[in-house]
Amino acid sequence: MAIPEYDVLIVGSGASGGMAAYTLTKRGLKCLLLEAGPSVDFAKQRVMKPVYELPYRGLGKPGKLPHVLQANEFNANQWVDEQQVPYTHDPKTPYNWVRVRMVGGKSLFWARMSFRLSDYEFKAKDHDGFGENWPISHADLAPFYSRVEPIFRVSGRKEGLAQLPDGDFIPDESPDSEATKAFAASAGKQGIPVTKIRRSLGKGAWASSFNLLLPDALATGNLTIVPNAVAREISVDKATGKVTGVHFIERGSRREMHAKAKAVVVGASCLESTRLLLNSKIANSSGVLGHYLCDQFYMNSSVVAIIPELKNGAGARGGGGYIPRFRNLRKDEKHNFIRGYALDFNTGGTPDPRYFGSWGEQLRKDLESVRGAAFSCTSMGEALPRYENKVTIDKSVVDAYGIPVLHVDCKYTDNEYNMAKDAVDTIGEVCHDAGWEVLNKNPKFYNPGYSIHEVGTCRMGDDPKKSVLNKWNQSHDIKNLFVVDGSSFVTAGSQNPTMTILSLSMRASEYLADEAQKGNV
Amino acid sequence: MNLKRRRFVQTLAAVTPAIAAAQQPAPSPAGGPSQTGPGGRGGFGMMEDTTKIDVTPADAVARMVTKFFNPDQFAALEKLGAIFMPTMKGAPGAIDAQAPQFLDFLLSESLPDRQKIYRTGLDGLNSQAKERFHMTFAKLSDEQAVQLLEPLKKPWTYDAPSDPVEHFLRVAKQDIRTATTNSREYVMASGGSGGGGRRGGGGTGLYWLSLDQA
Repeated sequence: MAIPEYDVLIVGSGASGGMAAYTLTKRGLKCLLLEAGPSVDFAKQRVMKPVYELPYRGLGKPGKLPHVLQANEFNANQWVDEQQVPYTHDPKTPYNWVRVRMVGGKSLFWARMSFRLSDYEFKAKDHDGFGENWPISHADLAPFYSRVEPIFRVSGRKEGLAQLPDGDFIPDESPDSEATKAFAASAGKQGIPVTKIRRSLGKGAWASSFNLLLPDALATGNLTIVPNAVAREISVDKATGKVTGVHFIERGSRREMHAKAKAVVVGASCLESTRLLLNSKIANSSGVLGHYLCDQFYMNSSVVAIIPELKNGAGARGGGGYIPRFRNLRKDEKHNFIRGYALDFNTGGTPDPRYFGSWGEQLRKDLESVRGAAFSCTSMGEALPRYENKVTIDKSVVDAYGIPVLHVDCKYTDNEYNMAKDAVDTIGEVCHDAGWEVLNKNPKFYNPGYSIHEVGTCRMGDDPKKSVLNKWNQSHDIKNLFVVDGSSFVTAGSQNPTMTILSLSMRASEYLADEAQKGNV
Repeated sequence: MNLKRRRFVQTLAAVTPAIAAAQQPAPSPAGGPSQTGPGGRGGFGMMEDTTKIDVTPADAVARMVTKFFNPDQFAALEKLGAIFMPTMKGAPGAIDAQAPQFLDFLLSESLPDRQKIYRTGLDGLNSQAKERFHMTFAKLSDEQAVQLLEPLKKPWTYDAPSDPVEHFLRVAKQDIRTATTNSREYVMASGGSGGGGRRGGGGTGLYWLSLDQA
């Protein structure tokens, strides 16, 4: 059987790899996409079960996924098995690396929060002098955000805020609930804006590359998807210095295979992409590959309050919203941290029983009286990109496919701790001023990684000595190698990253197609 | 077995087959050829494909054997279960739901950190009971027992309390509640509405099969 020749080999089928396939195939390039996990038939892969039929009554098999706090006993098998594909870290500085391997990747399971980054992120160094600016601005990426948003059907309301650029939304014209209005009024007194949530509606059950990108790419006739292909190493032609393809392990048989292409686009997720480059020993003349790992710290239930008007079955008048970053937008602000945080909130729920000092019948009554009357918010704050937060290859451990694993070395510092405290104190005050009863304030965030918004480690920049990629997500060292996922970020921002990942991937792929046309790759 | 529990178990025995029957197609007449095979092809092979056997879950016929906690620890856990989750508004409590037995099983498979929280906490609770009332926690009256649960009234904090009994009480309050509301007994008695199911309504959810063979 003749092996076809491919223009581009794409590693990964999630948001970034899927978008590369979508863009490149529409431009007429023949693409081969390798996905480490299976192509899942969701109707067969999932069965309805009552919780009592699960061996652990929903509490989960102890120790199965120690780092995946999002896992429960129903969905435990959807995540990457930590025993099969381990990683290492110092026990004192745990890192929660959450992974999915199947066609569609993590885009099958994301929370769909869909925001743009602003020039407060792209040009962060200009505001506070820390770190580096991105080599691009919002204006450079805006045309691509504007093409991505309609594909993912992002709903939102135009708010006119510089720190949260408006997009091409499906207008969210739903009225704000009374509780949301009360919260917004109290927040407004402190100059804190409250917006609608911006969310990808997708189509049907999904808002994923699985249903929004890959089918269109396949329809061009230019895409070949190979599931169960675990990329191990990118091959390089020593004579030209260009990449020639990818060595991969077939998941079922464990056979080693090699596929060729004229260019390689890596979109395997932030840390898997960097792991692949590190294991390939390429694209690191700068020495910063693996460094500047960052994300957003994450605290759910940061502030939990009771809304008196909703108590004792007053009726479900819930609703929620988003509080975009409001700190350090002016250079003359004085706080004990730089950058900022954002929150999303909900009203109308029932608080967790842990907040009540009662039990038995009294706890039942306590919960009954506040059913549907709770306010709760989740904070996400920008963790600073620091050189010392990094991933390296741990040569002493290999995964089930014989591939050396990552060692993650990442911790938060006072900037993040101070920011978290400010978040709960400030929002606690807003609730209190609204006349609500603050039940709990929690300034403790989860381990780094928990937000599943890990970015950096393969960052872009204009200076090849300080960055791995140029402003087109193209390797400074190897012109036919592109990395199009969150690893290319220079800063994390406080916004969820998926819209930016998709837009960067689309922009990089357009550039690659242009360059290929000119014979430059 | 107390009266309430016996009555509940009788109810469960009466309810289980009815629910099982409602969820499955009527079985073919025993020994006869299939009347319902597609295309009237019937035959042995088709019978094997379509016949459904009525079965009963182990919990309806047997009780869990405890093996992790020692007798004093387990008795204290049962007492706590009865206090934290008594029978309320007709819904089975922790004892009806065999929550202590389930936790014995769960803890037997848990990591050492978790095991230590339970063992140390239950031992501590028994020590406190002996110190103040000269008997084990399980033998205390409810009025006496709740005096030892006072630490639970402190405001909840993200960090676990440094006192091991306090820490245990907080963990146990949550685990006993979940183990009860996610039990077969509780879900069935509440008309399938469940209570602590982490997914979906009715205590049901989409369960992911292993991807190993996918």
